[in-house]
Amino acid sequence: MLHLLPHQLPWWVAGPGIGLCVVAMYGLANVKLGVSGGWLQLLFALQRRPVTEPWRIWFNGGLVLGALVAAALGTAAVRGYGALGAALPASWLVPALALTGVTIGYGARWAGGCTSGHGISGCSVGSPESLAATATFFGVAVVVSLLVHLVTGGAV
Amino acid sequence: MSRGVRLTALLVGVAFGFLLTASGLGDYRTIHEGLLLQDPYIYLMMGATVLTAAGGVRLLRRRGRTALAGPLVLPRHPVRRSTVYGAAVFGVGFGVGATCPGITVAMVATGGLWGAVVLAGILAGLWLRGRAEPPARRPTTSSRAGGRSRRA
Repeated sequence: MLHLLPHQLPWWVAGPGIGLCVVAMYGLANVKLGVSGGWLQLLFALQRRPVTEPWRIWFNGGLVLGALVAAALGTAAVRGYGALGAALPASWLVPALALTGVTIGYGARWAGGCTSGHGISGCSVGSPESLAATATFFGVAVVVSLLVHLVTGGAV
Repeated sequence: MSRGVRLTALLVGVAFGFLLTASGLGDYRTIHEGLLLQDPYIYLMMGATVLTAAGGVRLLRRRGRTALAGPLVLPRHPVRRSTVYGAAVFGVGFGVGATCPGITVAMVATGGLWGAVVLAGILAGLWLRGRAEPPARRPTTSSRAGGRSRRA
């Protein structure tokens, strides 16, 4: 592994960079950048159902490649699952994380998008639906995080 | 789908995955501390993303055409109940796991293999929601882009 990257890119580099990704997808390909839709297309492929938006699978494939490049260039390695992983034994952590994933996937499909599709791409064009979705999931996530923090006595 | 669109998706995907990962979002603490209102990083980053993208979209709108796929169509939709219900359910997982569908990849790529459990759960959740809704109403997350989108 190389050590070419800082511990964390400054927000004023990463933020505008991702903004340009959104603009590139609209301006070149006329599509809305989003990740959960790509996992849905992958699910269709696994189910042998027609893949209606093949570009999404290419996009998520690129996402995996880009993440691996960042890891190879020295992004700090992650161990365990933060405070949540430290608070729960592995026999609890697996079902807890699986259930967490289920709510994320279920909610994203119900809402028609996630942090990228609604939170970034939709909000950038001022879509009322995306603004409402983003305010809702951030609001709920902050309340849930603070509640878990409180209930666990600050452990998580 | 043209080869250009596929290549665009792949290359922009690489850039997006690189930036998500290099910004440390794959580390549970980054989003967790943001949601506990202890660290402003995720809000500053997301604000900078949306401002930059909104500025770029203004320029695109003036042009009105995309490079590879005809006249620009921007996804604008009214708020629906399903959006808010779904976002609330999403928010619970987002809050507990301090991760989201793209960030799980950043987690796994940097060695946080528990992220793969979350990602498997996400696929299961997408499938479950598909079972819960009538198939004709909303076959994909983004199929709504057709029809009701407003031209720029």
